[in-house]
Amino acid sequence: MNDEASAIADEQLARARSGERAALAELIRAHQRSVYSLALRMLGTRDLAEDLTQDVFMQLNGNLKSIESSKHLMFWLRKVTTYRAIDHLRRQSRLVMTPLEDEAQFLSTVDGGDPLLQRHLRSLLLGLSPSARAVVLLRYQEDLDLVDIARTLDMPIDTVKSHLKRSLETLRRNTPGAASTRCRDEST
Amino acid sequence: MSEDIESRLRAALRPVEPSEEFSRTLLMRVTADRSSQSNGRSHVRRRFKAPARWFTASVAASLLVAVGIQHHLQGEHERESGLEARRQVIEALRVTSQKLDLAYEAVKSQSTSLADDQTGA
Repeated sequence: MNDEASAIADEQLARARSGERAALAELIRAHQRSVYSLALRMLGTRDLAEDLTQDVFMQLNGNLKSIESSKHLMFWLRKVTTYRAIDHLRRQSRLVMTPLEDEAQFLSTVDGGDPLLQRHLRSLLLGLSPSARAVVLLRYQEDLDLVDIARTLDMPIDTVKSHLKRSLETLRRNTPGAASTRCRDEST
Repeated sequence: MSEDIESRLRAALRPVEPSEEFSRTLLMRVTADRSSQSNGRSHVRRRFKAPARWFTASVAASLLVAVGIQHHLQGEHERESGLEARRQVIEALRVTSQKLDLAYEAVKSQSTSLADDQTGA
């Protein structure tokens, strides 16, 4: 986010904090995509993702006064979403199945690349532990660096690195194209 | 090779938009919740209006109690009237019975004296 965009977002946040409904609506529209995507990839189904997204924004509504800036807001939303998702997954502690109707939604968003491979990667992601899944999502979906991931998940940076390394190895090992690339790389 | 899986992950994990219907519901619910939070004053106003409602309720309750008491007193009065009537009927029966006894005694003594006259004659 550049300085100008950041200033606009800060002003929007200030208006929402002062009780302006239109500003709050803009704020939700601006961040719902990120929150919903995190929730969807963490939990695996659209219904659970929608419930979590709603809970997160309701919680934000109650805590709006404590949000200091637009950057803090993004940090807060990612933190609350991942924490609540991890908490939910630990409570459920079962394998999350991805219904077919949700797959249609996943596929419709793909522009370019191999849709089957992307679907395969997303289903592999659902097999990772909740914390490892959160690390991978914050890294490759939210594009956070390792320090920010560690701050968001309240995790030592070495743990973040280790989760990331092991997750990438698992994904690589179970991805047909990547495995063949590896074999090719190793053979050369 | 690592870049390969990373770029594939980035492509697979592009953020997705929630459905339009969900977005509308979400906006509605959160902004409605906001409105209810910011309506703190109306709660205060309602609290100040509360005694008026209590007054109306207490007047209604008093009226109900008064009607109940009146109904009870009327019942008591009717019961006492009934008892008085019963007492009077019993008294009348007692007096009638006494009169009948006297009449019987008179008839009996008269018939006894007539019989004595006939045997004497």
